[in-house]
Formats: sequence, C-alpha cells, structure tokens
Amino acid sequence: MKMKRLFGALMAGALALSMVACTGNGGTTTPATTEEKKPETTVEATTETTEPAETVEETTEPAETTSDQISLSMWCIATESDSNRASYEKAIAEMAENHPEINFTWEAFENQSYKTKIKAAVQANELPDIFFTWSCAFLGDFVAADKVYCLDEVYENYKDELPEVMLGNTTYNGKHYGVPLTMNIVGLFANMDLLAQVGYDEIPGTYDEFIECCDALKAAGIIPFGCAGKETWCVTEYLESVIEKSIGADALNDVFVNGATWNNQGIADAVDTFQGLVNNGYFDPSGVGLTNDEVKNNFIAGKYAFYMNGTWNCADFAKEEGLNVKVSEFPVINADQAKLGQLIGGPSDTLAVAASSPNAAVAADYAMELGKLICHYGYLDGCGLPAWTPYGDTSEINPLTQAVAEICANADTYVLFGDTAMSADDANTYLSYVDLVYGCQVDGKGFIEGLSSDIR
Amino acid sequence: MKKTDTKAVIKQESVTEKAPKPVAQVFIWIFLIFWTLLNLFPIYFMFTFSLKSNAEIFGENIIGLPKEWLWSNYSTAMNTGKMWLYFLNSILVTVAAIAISIMAGMMATYAITRIKWKMSKLTNAFFMLGLTIPIQASIVPVYVILSKASKVPGLNMIFGLNRYTTLIIPYAAFSLSMAILICTGFMTEIPFDLDEAATIDGCGFFRTFFKIILPLMKPAVSTVGIYSFLQCWNEFMFANVFISDSVHRTLPVGIKELSGQHTTNWGPIGAALVIATFPTLIAYLFLSKKIQASFIAGAVKG
Amino acid sequence: MKNVKKWFAIIVFLLPGLLLFIGILIAPIAVSAYRSLFDWDGFTEGTFIWFKNYKELFTSKSIMFGNALKNSLILAFFSVFVQLPIALGLALLLGRKIKGEKFFLSIFFMPVLISTVVIGQLWLKIYNPDYGLINQLLDLLHLENLKHVWVAEVEPIGIFKNVPFLKNIPIALGSIIVPTIWQYVGYHMLLMYAGVKGVSTDLREAAMLDGATAGQIDRYIVIPTIKPIIRVSVIFAVTGSLKTYDLVRILTNGGPFQKTQVPSTLLEDMLFLRNRYGMGSTISVMLILLCFAFALVITAVFRERDK
Repeated sequence: MKMKRLFGALMAGALALSMVACTGNGGTTTPATTEEKKPETTVEATTETTEPAETVEETTEPAETTSDQISLSMWCIATESDSNRASYEKAIAEMAENHPEINFTWEAFENQSYKTKIKAAVQANELPDIFFTWSCAFLGDFVAADKVYCLDEVYENYKDELPEVMLGNTTYNGKHYGVPLTMNIVGLFANMDLLAQVGYDEIPGTYDEFIECCDALKAAGIIPFGCAGKETWCVTEYLESVIEKSIGADALNDVFVNGATWNNQGIADAVDTFQGLVNNGYFDPSGVGLTNDEVKNNFIAGKYAFYMNGTWNCADFAKEEGLNVKVSEFPVINADQAKLGQLIGGPSDTLAVAASSPNAAVAADYAMELGKLICHYGYLDGCGLPAWTPYGDTSEINPLTQAVAEICANADTYVLFGDTAMSADDANTYLSYVDLVYGCQVDGKGFIEGLSSDIR
Repeated sequence: MKKTDTKAVIKQESVTEKAPKPVAQVFIWIFLIFWTLLNLFPIYFMFTFSLKSNAEIFGENIIGLPKEWLWSNYSTAMNTGKMWLYFLNSILVTVAAIAISIMAGMMATYAITRIKWKMSKLTNAFFMLGLTIPIQASIVPVYVILSKASKVPGLNMIFGLNRYTTLIIPYAAFSLSMAILICTGFMTEIPFDLDEAATIDGCGFFRTFFKIILPLMKPAVSTVGIYSFLQCWNEFMFANVFISDSVHRTLPVGIKELSGQHTTNWGPIGAALVIATFPTLIAYLFLSKKIQASFIAGAVKG
Repeated sequence: MKNVKKWFAIIVFLLPGLLLFIGILIAPIAVSAYRSLFDWDGFTEGTFIWFKNYKELFTSKSIMFGNALKNSLILAFFSVFVQLPIALGLALLLGRKIKGEKFFLSIFFMPVLISTVVIGQLWLKIYNPDYGLINQLLDLLHLENLKHVWVAEVEPIGIFKNVPFLKNIPIALGSIIVPTIWQYVGYHMLLMYAGVKGVSTDLREAAMLDGATAGQIDRYIVIPTIKPIIRVSVIFAVTGSLKTYDLVRILTNGGPFQKTQVPSTLLEDMLFLRNRYGMGSTISVMLILLCFAFALVITAVFRERDK
C-alpha cells in the first residue's frame, strides 16, 4: 500500500517536473527565436542555423566576429564513426581559419537514415545551405525539382583544380550542380596468402587464368568469392564488372545512363557468365543470407580468396595486420568489346547547395573550397581517390589506395554504379532483378526481358 | 516446432493440474524455467555483445563470454557525439509526451464518458482511428506542418522544427488514442453518483473534473505511462527527420551515429544499446509490481 | 443556458485532444489520401490520375502488394493462433498462485522492453548460416540435411507442406514470424493475466468445492470472463501484424526477391527509396482502411459469439 502511494507521488512528481521542463524549454528557446528575427539573418534560414549559444561542439566559430557574419549550415553523413570523419574535421577547421566571416555549422547523420531525411527535407523545403548527396539520379531528382543551386559561375574559379570530366555525374542539361569529393571504383581484392596456397603470387591477369585459379581454390577447399546477398548492391559490384568486361564500358553506360534498351544479347550472355560462376560453386552458398558487414569480416578472417567491393575498403584492409591483400581490376572476358582500364565507379559523394539558401552564392563558393579540402584530406587518409587534382605529399598513403590510384591513372572509361546512375524507381527495379539473378531465379534472357519491360 | 511443443505442454497442464501429480508439476517447472531462460537470454546476449570486438561478434565467439572484455566500447559509445545529452533529451521528450497525452487524454475522456451528448460515441470511435495509423505514412505531411509552423512568428517560439516540442507534440498525439482507450476504462468505473453530488453542491464541469475525477484517476497515470513509454522511447523515424541539430537529438538517432557509411564497429553500438535499455530494465524491475498492476489495470479497464 | 454551459465544457475538454489528434494524425492522413490520387515523386508538381495508383497497387507484378498483404495476414494468423494461446496458457498458469508468480511475470515481460535492434541482432546470430545457433545445433545432432540459410530461402516450410493455407510460407518468412511472436508473448500474457486475476476467488473456490479440476475452472469460468480482454488482444495482434516493420527490416529487409515484404516496408520503400510518393500514400491509405476494417470485423465476431 505504501509502495503504491510512493509510486503515485513519484509519478505525480515526474508529471509536474515534465511540465516545468516543458515551459523551461520554451523559456530557453525564446531568446534564440528573438535573435533569429534580427534583421541581418533572413527568416528562411532561421530553422537550420542553430542558436549560437547551443552549438558548442560542432561550430567552428572563429574568435573574431565581424558585423557582416554570414551563417551557413551543412548536413553530411560523416558521423564520428565514419572513416571520412577526420578529413571533414580537418577541412572544416581549415575553412574556419580562412573564412572568419562565415559562421559555419554542420551536422552528421547516419548513412541509411540520411537518405530518408534528405528526401523528406527536400519535400518540405527544409534543406540546409550545403548538403551531402550522391551524384547522378539521386541529386538529379532534386535538380529536376529546382531545389539545387547551379554552380556554373563558381566553377569558373576552380577550373584548374577540378577537371571538368569529374563533373560528368553532376551535370544536368549542361549545367553543373555538384562538388565532387572523393571517388571510388570497384576493386577485386585478393587474399594473397590464400592464393599462395594454390601457387599464385599475383592476381591472375586474364579471365582464363582467373577461372583456373578459382578452380584450384575450390579444389583446395577455399571459397573463391564472398558476396552479401542481403544487400543487393554488393551483388551489383560483381555483376556489373562482369557485364562491363563482356560488352564494354560504352555499351553498359548507354544502358545505364543514356536510355539504351536493356534488350541486349551481350548483357544476357554476361549475366549467364556470372550465373555460371555462381553455379560452379565459386560463391559462398551462405552469402545469400549475409550482410556486407558479415561478408567483409569473413574476408578479413581469411574465409574467402576474393572480395569484389568498393575501394573505400582499402584503408580498412591496409589496417589489418597479418592480412596480405592485393587489389586489381576484374580481368577482361570478351577482348573484342572490352578492355582493361574500363572501370565501374566514379565520383559519387558530392556536396550541393540548396536553391533556397539565402546566401546561395557564398555557400556555393564555400562548398567548392570545402569540397577540395575534404577530397584532399580524404585521399591522404585512404578513404578514396581524389576527384580534385591532388597536391601535397601523397607518399604516406596506404599501399592499397596507391595501387588503386595507379589503376585509375591508366583508366579509360568509368561507368557509375548502376543503382546510383538510374533514377530511384528504376534502380530498385534493377536491384530486384539482380537479386533474382544471384538467387538463380531468372537467367540472362529473363533478366534482359524483364528489365526492358519493367523499366521505362 | 518449439511453439507446438510448448502449447502441448500447457494444454496438458491445464487438464491434469487439479490432482497435483508430480509428473505434471515437473513438466510445469521445466517449461517455466525453459521459458525464463529464453527470455533472459537476450539480456545476457546484449551485455556480452557490448564488450566484444567485431571479430568476436561476427563468428569467432558469438554467444560466449567475451575473450577480451572491451570496456572501451562503453567509453567509445559515450564519447561519440553527445550521448549523455541524447539520453537526457530522450527522457525529457518521453516524459513530456507522456504527460501531455495523459492530460489531453483524460480531458477528452471526461467529455466523452461523463458529459451526456449525442456525438460522444462517434467522437470516441474517431479517436480510436489513431490506433490504426502507421507512423511512416505521416512523416512528410507532419514535417510540412512543422516547417510551416516554424515560419509563423509567435507560434515558432513553442512549435516548429529543432525544438523539444517538435518531438513531444507528435509523440503525445500518437499516444493519445491509447491513452483515451485506457482512461475510458478507468473513468467509467468511477460511480456517476459522485458527479451528481458534486453538481448538487454547485460544482461546474471544471471543478468536478479537477477536484473529484482527476484525483481518482491516479492509477491510470502509470498505466498510460507504460504504454506511451513503449511507444516513444525507441521511436526513430520522427526523431531522425524532424530534428536536425545535435542539441535536440534523441538516443535512437544518436546510437545510429555509431555506424559509419562503409564500416561499422558493432561493439560500441551494443554498449549504447545497453545504456539505452538497462535503465529501463532496472526501473522496470524496481517498479515491476506497480507497473504490472497498472498495466493490468489498463487491460481490465481497456 | 445550461446547454450553453455544457457545450462550452465539452468543447474545452475536447480541444487539446482534438487539436493534437487532428493536427498530427488526421490532417496528414487527409493529405495522404489526396496525394494517393497523384502520380508524384514528392519533389515536382505531379499529375492527377484519379485511382490509377490503387489499380496499379493491386495489379502490378513488380510491387507485389498482394504478397506483402498476405505475409502480414500470415503473421496475424500465427499471432492469433500461436502467440495468443501461449500467452493465455502462461497467464492461466501464473494465475494459479504458482510459486514465484511475480518473478516469472517480470521476466516474461522483459523482451517487450528490449529494443528491437537488439532482438534483431540476436536472431541474426541465431539464424546465421555458418556459426548460427540453429545450424550448429543441427550439426551436433547430425541433422545436416535440415540446415538452411534461414533468412534467405524461399522454399516452403517442410512441416506445413500439406496444410492448405500455410503450404506456401517461405522459410525466410518463417524466420521473421518466430521472433516476432516470441517477443510479444509477454505483452499479451500480461494483459490476460490481469483478466485472470480479476476473476473473483469466491467463484473459483465454489467451483473447486464442486469438484472441478483446474483445467475445467479455466475452461468454463476464467476464459469466458476474460473474453473482452482476449478481444482487445486479438485486435492488437492483428493490427500490430499489419503494421509490423522493425524485425522485417533487420532480418530480411523484404528479401529474398521481395518475398518477405510487408505493407509497412513496402510503404517506406515507395516513399523514400523509389521516390513514388503517390503510390506510398496509396499504400498507407489501404493500410489504415484494412486495420480499421479488421478491428470492426473482430469486434463483430466476438459479439456474434456472445449471442
């Protein structure tokens, strides 16, 4: 009985407390809102520019403040656990030094949930001044809705440092809308210790040797490939490479980006080739039920000989002691149509400026400079390859990233990841067909027929 | 398969219980202990998970005790972002949302159950509609409403984006239907003579509510509290979309900060989840008698 | 005069609730209902297309709404016919003044309090094809042929092969159903336990004196008395199943081949992955209508039985 009364009192207390807390909250936010109404900051910007008093950690506000302070805000996905975090921090610190007149605030969100968040923000017209986005279709939808500020004017000042070819994925109707950061390609990672067990000290260079190597591995009881079937993008890393090395980069690019028909016998044959690899038992049969985290850990633990995935893994693999990894590109399957130097990947991580920003022109300039620095530091940290012309001392970069840089230096054509290149709806239709291919539910013929009828 | 077994066991129990046959008793106890272990296991799993490295979590040692007790996972979790602040924010938002939904729910219930008018049944059914609405469907429309509100001078002082109220008000709204459902049960139990006596004494509706009804509704407070707590504490969707500054961020979104785009260290995530869950569990154990009593009260009345 | 006062009171008392409810729940749904008539990506203008989204929803082979709906109905079926009986059994058992009653009650409710992320991770470890507990156990028992890649297989579950309604449940769906049911047994058990405790002891004792067994007391006295609670539980179980989301996302993410999608995950995919805001709105309207319809049907069924 006593207990009951005590609890009642507790609850009542909590209730009262919460009321106080509520009004207390109202009270603390009041000064902020009145400040927001000061003439120098425009009203639209107020919701994102956080109250100066409260932005303790994330603000890199310089000591000296002038009366013409401009507030800029940015959203990105460089959470504290993300490998890009350090490069963002260094770049932003440097920007704060160079631009004391700008009061810059930034917030980082988790990758998957950010996709929901940014789309909802576009729909509600609540974008921050600068935001992280993925290139091609993801940004393209926002551009089509007139939500993104055009960077053509600003780009003139950065032409020398940022080759125009790097802007291909963020150019719509001939206009530039994005600042590329680092770029990544699909790499064929190989566990050299496992390869040595079957007598290879290099990754086989031709497709026939490659298949021989896989057979030898299989015979030795080593699983050649690990691939996470629960995350279909991981399957595309394999499938797209096989298709590209069969029909050539230009043909694949036409299908992904330029609206060429999926009804292409070459693609059907390539899909059958890929399925042949699956049916030959080169892939871990458990893979269909695994996430990429699990597969990647299996590779690190020495369960697979090969792992095809983005080159963002370089830094992680280089860090693992006792893991002897090399990286190369997938061998050419059909030399009549494809050749080495045709890669899957390209600049995808991008910064963009909101058209609704009251200081869009300033933000655009800021985003360019910031992008350059993030790219620079990101490259030094081994998070990816630079979209901007690299500068400074790059000899300390981990050997895997350097190997990738070499591959890219000899690159001929890039085809962006299919699910990034296609519009959101098409990309998911495509992914569901890739899923069916990996599960051997459709063959190459079914794949091209299904896609040509379901897409466009 | 497990399920059918247990079902069979229960059935057998219920038939043979009367004459307490030792065999039946043994079966009951084996089953109860088995089910207890099944329900305690996740807690053990969560705790050991939080002290392991990725290598152990993914394959080396999934259910054993950690080979190396990585307490550093906890400091990583706590030093990422402003985890303590997120924790406090979560408490603040949850408690405030519960308080508002209780108050609004009780008032609405009073109007529905204790004042006689034609449309009261219909109004009640209208509120019950809320039990069926999926949270995903309302994200963007609510976001637009909040965004519009934050541009109205005056209104934006209490309501808009990036405030505590941004979450408190939607959470309270989504808990409201359940609150009314529960309060209706409690309130119809209170004898109607009380109202009549109060009216004769010259009390109006308001004094009757505040002086007579409200004090009798205390048990409802904790009942509604539990249901609303279950709804608000782990809510992720709204918190992710509506809050864009880390100052007002809540725990479920904060925990997500621990995963990176391409690499995720799961140990600290486990640690953060322990930090998010254990206080609830401990509070629950301490208050479990009372909480169960009121949960039960909700059920009986509901 | 009195009437004016009364209506004034009604309005004041309802106002906070109605404001919250209409502003945050009803208005958005009204917007969704309106948007469901558009072919709209959420960003640009959108075209008004009447009910074409609804038609596409039920006819399109690539959206597979019918399959998603079927999955959630299967889940509802198991929830009502497996989860609730277990919960009822536990509630009746604990209602008999067993030793450690309160202890068991507390423990059995715990999974409800634990974040679904943890529950999901735990079951992923249980299901893992290589080192997962189930497959390791099967290895130990030399039942290798029963091993599966649990969360990723579409083959029908063996033991249901000859049951008409259940014969096509993919293994992957089964692997979602088990943890979902397990997690919320405690929730329903506690609801029902409340009812069981509400049955007057006099009635029990009287029946006992008449020589009724505990089973008979449960069957003829307790269960009929707690019928209203069972009804509430059934409604929660069915509407809850229609709205399932978390564990599906974590365990299978709708795969393999979209076979384990449920309406909520499909809805989210449409809204935020495929940029088909109009279609997403259509799904949410359908979901609300279905939940409401089921609640009405269940209420009607219980009323019919009472007669």
